[in-house]
Amino acid sequence: MQKLMIFCAAFFVFTMAASAQSGQKFFTRDGKVKFDATAASSPERIDALSNSATCVLDAANGNFQWAVLIKGFQFEKSLMQEHFNENYLESGKYPKATFVGKITNLNEVTLSKNGTYNAIVSGQMTIHGVTKDITTNGAITVNGSNVKVNAGFNLNLADYSISIPALVSDKIAKEAKVLVDATLVPKQ
Amino acid sequence: MSGKRILLLILGLGLIGAAIGIALWNKPHENMASSKAKATVEATVLFNEYNTDENAANANYLGKTIAVTGKVKDVSKTEGGPAKITLETGDEFAVICELDALSQHARTDFIAGETVTFKGKCDGLNLDVQLSRCVEVK
Repeated sequence: MQKLMIFCAAFFVFTMAASAQSGQKFFTRDGKVKFDATAASSPERIDALSNSATCVLDAANGNFQWAVLIKGFQFEKSLMQEHFNENYLESGKYPKATFVGKITNLNEVTLSKNGTYNAIVSGQMTIHGVTKDITTNGAITVNGSNVKVNAGFNLNLADYSISIPALVSDKIAKEAKVLVDATLVPKQ
Repeated sequence: MSGKRILLLILGLGLIGAAIGIALWNKPHENMASSKAKATVEATVLFNEYNTDENAANANYLGKTIAVTGKVKDVSKTEGGPAKITLETGDEFAVICELDALSQHARTDFIAGETVTFKGKCDGLNLDVQLSRCVEVK
């Protein structure tokens, strides 16, 4: 009888833990997003960083979302930051960039087991009021209860109606490199 | 006017133009310690305004230097980034003030429960209301 009770208790704990894992959401509000639009011939670096992207990953279905505020990007040069906000990204009109999508190879990513997994992420990116489909690869590293997400991809500025004046076209790259680095923790 | 004078005038104007261009290019970021707040607001009020009507709140605050007063919920220090102070709003989400990397701060540690005022740039609503380039106001 005692053995049966221990078995039942162990089974209960195991199933609770498994269901918590499968329905678990991971979250951060400290994601780093860096973009670099430096043209090969530019003498100055044209890059900026935000430390405040939000990111949510649902372990149950692989749904993956992130958002970053455009005004939160910090440039080294004040004038670049001003032009980025006022002329190119028009952050007063379009304050956020968002991505809504999912991990399409969730069967190859075990969020309950330590390790680094290659994730294929597919979804819709909205920047400057324009939404485009995007698919990219990223690395997901599970370490205990934390999930680290690293991804890098290129965005064609013209796809998002970001026009570069001819005067600075030799300094600003047509494609911006974007790096995402976020450590997500289980959402309470 | 002789040709030499015209040449000197063009050269002078060119030099002035170049000097203005260089000054503009190297214009420093706004000094947050001396930046004047366009609005002073309680963290709970700011958060509620954003949650009620994000567009209206953006019209009032987005990109502006504002002073926000609230109770410290917690302080987080991200790897390689400035400290962020979370101000209570009575909601799951909050007002988050990221300290300015370009300013000197008298302190970067804050105690949960203490009331503080930060002056910073309002970046908008991203679940929380986010402020960057913050300095404490005494």
